[in-house]
Amino acid sequence: MLRDIVMKEILDIIHSPKFVFTFLLCTVLILLSVYTGIDNYRSELREYNAAVVLNRKNLENQQNYTTLAGIGTKINKQPTVLSAVTTGIQKAVGRQATVNIAYDPSLVDSKYDSNPVLAVFGELDLTLIVRVVLSLLAILFTYDAISGERERGTLKLSLSNRIPRDRMILGKALGGLASLLVPLVIPFVIGLIMLMLYPDISFTGDEWLRIGFIFLLFLLYLSLFFSLGLMVSSFTRRSSSSLFILLFAWVVFVFVVPKTAVILAGQINPIPSVHEVTAQKEAFLQEIQGSARQEVLDWRGENPSDNTPEYQERFRAFLEDLQQRATSSIDERNAGLEVDYQAKRRKQQTLALYLSRLSPASALTVGAENLGLTGVREHERFLNSIKQYKPVFTKWANTKMMQSLDLGNTGEQEKPDISDMPRHEFEPEKLSESLAAALPDYLVMALMTIVFFMAAYVSFLRYDVR
Amino acid sequence: MLQTIDLTKRYEDDTLALDCLNLEVKEGEIFCLLGANGAGKTTTINLFFNFIQPTSGKALVNGIDAAEKPLDAKDHLSFVSENVMLYGNFTARQNLDYFSRLGGRRNLKKDDYYHYMSMVGLSDDSFEKKVGSFSKGMRQKLGITIAIIKDAGNILLDEPTSGLDPRAAAEFIAILRDLRERGKSILMSTHDIFRAKEIADYVGIMKKGRLAMVRSREEFLGDDLEAVYLDYMQSAS
Repeated sequence: MLRDIVMKEILDIIHSPKFVFTFLLCTVLILLSVYTGIDNYRSELREYNAAVVLNRKNLENQQNYTTLAGIGTKINKQPTVLSAVTTGIQKAVGRQATVNIAYDPSLVDSKYDSNPVLAVFGELDLTLIVRVVLSLLAILFTYDAISGERERGTLKLSLSNRIPRDRMILGKALGGLASLLVPLVIPFVIGLIMLMLYPDISFTGDEWLRIGFIFLLFLLYLSLFFSLGLMVSSFTRRSSSSLFILLFAWVVFVFVVPKTAVILAGQINPIPSVHEVTAQKEAFLQEIQGSARQEVLDWRGENPSDNTPEYQERFRAFLEDLQQRATSSIDERNAGLEVDYQAKRRKQQTLALYLSRLSPASALTVGAENLGLTGVREHERFLNSIKQYKPVFTKWANTKMMQSLDLGNTGEQEKPDISDMPRHEFEPEKLSESLAAALPDYLVMALMTIVFFMAAYVSFLRYDVR
Repeated sequence: MLQTIDLTKRYEDDTLALDCLNLEVKEGEIFCLLGANGAGKTTTINLFFNFIQPTSGKALVNGIDAAEKPLDAKDHLSFVSENVMLYGNFTARQNLDYFSRLGGRRNLKKDDYYHYMSMVGLSDDSFEKKVGSFSKGMRQKLGITIAIIKDAGNILLDEPTSGLDPRAAAEFIAILRDLRERGKSILMSTHDIFRAKEIADYVGIMKKGRLAMVRSREEFLGDDLEAVYLDYMQSAS
C-alpha cells in the first residue's frame, strides 16, 4: 500500500505541468551554470598560469636585489576546478598578493575589479540555483500536498479506505521528495558528464568526493524545504494560505536571516576598520624608518669612514643587521596588530555564521563553499599562508640585498638569482577538515528536516480531512 | 448494515452537530437523509468513516464500532462525495487503478476497469482521458465506479447528485438502484427531495442534529413528502 501511495505521488507530480516546467527550467539553469563555471575556471586558470610566468620573468629581470626586495614577488591563488560547481567568494576577493619587505601583504585584483559587470549580475552557480530556485520549486511542489488534496476531496476519498494515516503521509513524503529530486539529479549528472568531456578538466578522487558531499548537502537542503512545505500544508486547510505562509518563510530563510545575521554580528561585536589598522601599521613603519636613519647616522658618527674594505665589510654587516632588525620589528608589530584585528574579526564572523545558520540557505552556502574550497575559510587559509611566507621572503631578500650592496660605489650590482628564493607553498584544506567545518551545516539542515517532517507527521495524524 | 446508536457530536466550539442520532440501514436498502445545511447529514457520514470522533454514542458498520476499529469498519464502506475532483493529471483508468488498490482490489486489469466504466455509462473515449477535462457528471460517475469496484457492503453518499444536470442525475439514480438490487446498504445525504422520493426505501429528515422524522417508502408515498419537508425546513429556520 505504501508503494501504491508513493507511486501515485510520483506519477501525479510527473504528469503535472509544474513538473515539466520545473524539469526544463532546472535543466537549462544547471547546464548553463556548469557551462559558465567551466568557462570561468578555464579562463582563470589561463590568467593564473600567465601571472605566474610573468611574475617569474619580472623577478629575473630586476637589476638588483634592492629593487627585487622593494617590488616583491606576486603570489597568485590557483583556481579550483570545484568553482565550476560552487563559485563561493572567489570572484569577490583578490586573487593576487604582493609580498615585499615593507608592507603587509593583502589580496588584490579580484575578478570583479577587472570586470565590474560581473558583480552587477552576480554568479550563476549550482549552489545559487539550489539555494534560490530549487528551494522555491520545492515549495511549489508541496504547498498543496495535504491542503490541496483536502480541497480536491481526494484526501477524504483516499482515507475512506483502510489506510493508516502515518502510511499516507510517509508515502506522500517519499513520493513527493523523489519527484522533486528528479529535476536536480538528472541535469546534475548531465552536467558532471559535461565536465568530464572537457579534455583540460580533470577531477582528483578528493574533488569527486567533495562534489559528492556538496550534492548530499543539496539533497538535504531540498528535503528540508520539502518537509517545510509538507508541514505548512498539513497545518492549513487552504492551499492558498499554505502558499502564502511558505513564500513568507522562504523569503525569511533565503534573504532576511542571512543578511540580518551579518548586520547583527557587526552590531554585537564591532571591529576597527581596515583603514584604521593600515594607518597604525603605516605610522609604525614611519617610526621605524626614522629611527633606522638615525642609527645609520649615529653609526657613521662613531665610525668615521676610511673607505677600506674592512670598513665597508663592517658597514655592510651593520646595515644587514639593522635591516633585519627593522623588518623583523615591523613584521612583529604588524603581526601583533593583525592578530588582534583578525581575532576580533573572527569573533564577529563566527557569530555571524552561527546566527545565519538559523537559515538553511546560509548553512547550504557556507557548507558548499567550505567543501568546494571557495569560501571564506579557504580564503583565510590562503591569506594566512601568504602572511607566514612574508617573513621568510623578507629574510631572504634582506640577506641577498645586503650581501650585494655596492658600498665601494663600483657601479656594479649583482643581478638577482631567484633559484634559491623560498617558494610560497599552499596546500588546500584536507577533505576531513572541510567536512568537519561543514558538519554543523549538515546537522542544522538534518535537524530542521526532521523537526519539520515530525511536525507534518503529527499534524497529519490529527488533520481534519473534512 | 449501517447503524447509529445515540450518536452525538459536539464540536470544540460547543456546536451540537449531532444529537443522539439513531438510525439503521439494512442490506438492500437506501436511506436518504434530508435536511438543511448544518442539520448533521455530513457529520453522520464523517462519523462512519471516523473522520471525526463522536462525543458519545456509536456508529456501527456491520456491527463494527467505527470509532474503535476505524480501519476494520472502512473495509466495509465505500464513499461517494459531493464534488470529488479526483486526480486531474491522471486518466480515468489511472484514477480507478489507484483507488481500487487503496480499496484492496489489486488484481484488476485494464479491461476490468473499462468494463466497470461502461457499467456506469462512461463512454469508451473517456477511459484514457485525463480527469481534469471531465464534467462534474462524468466525475461523479467515476466516483461511483470507485465505490462499485471496492464492492463494500455499505455505500455512503454525500450529496452525490448536487450540481448534476437532470439526465446525469437520472443515470446516477439508476446506478444506485442497481447497487441496491445487489444487496448494498446505501446511506445518502441529499437536498434533492425528488430524487430521494424516487429511490429511497426510507427518508429521514434531520433538524439541528436530530432525526426529526423517519418515513418508510410506503408512508412517504402516501404523504405529501414535499410539504412535510418544507414544514420541517421552515420550522428549522
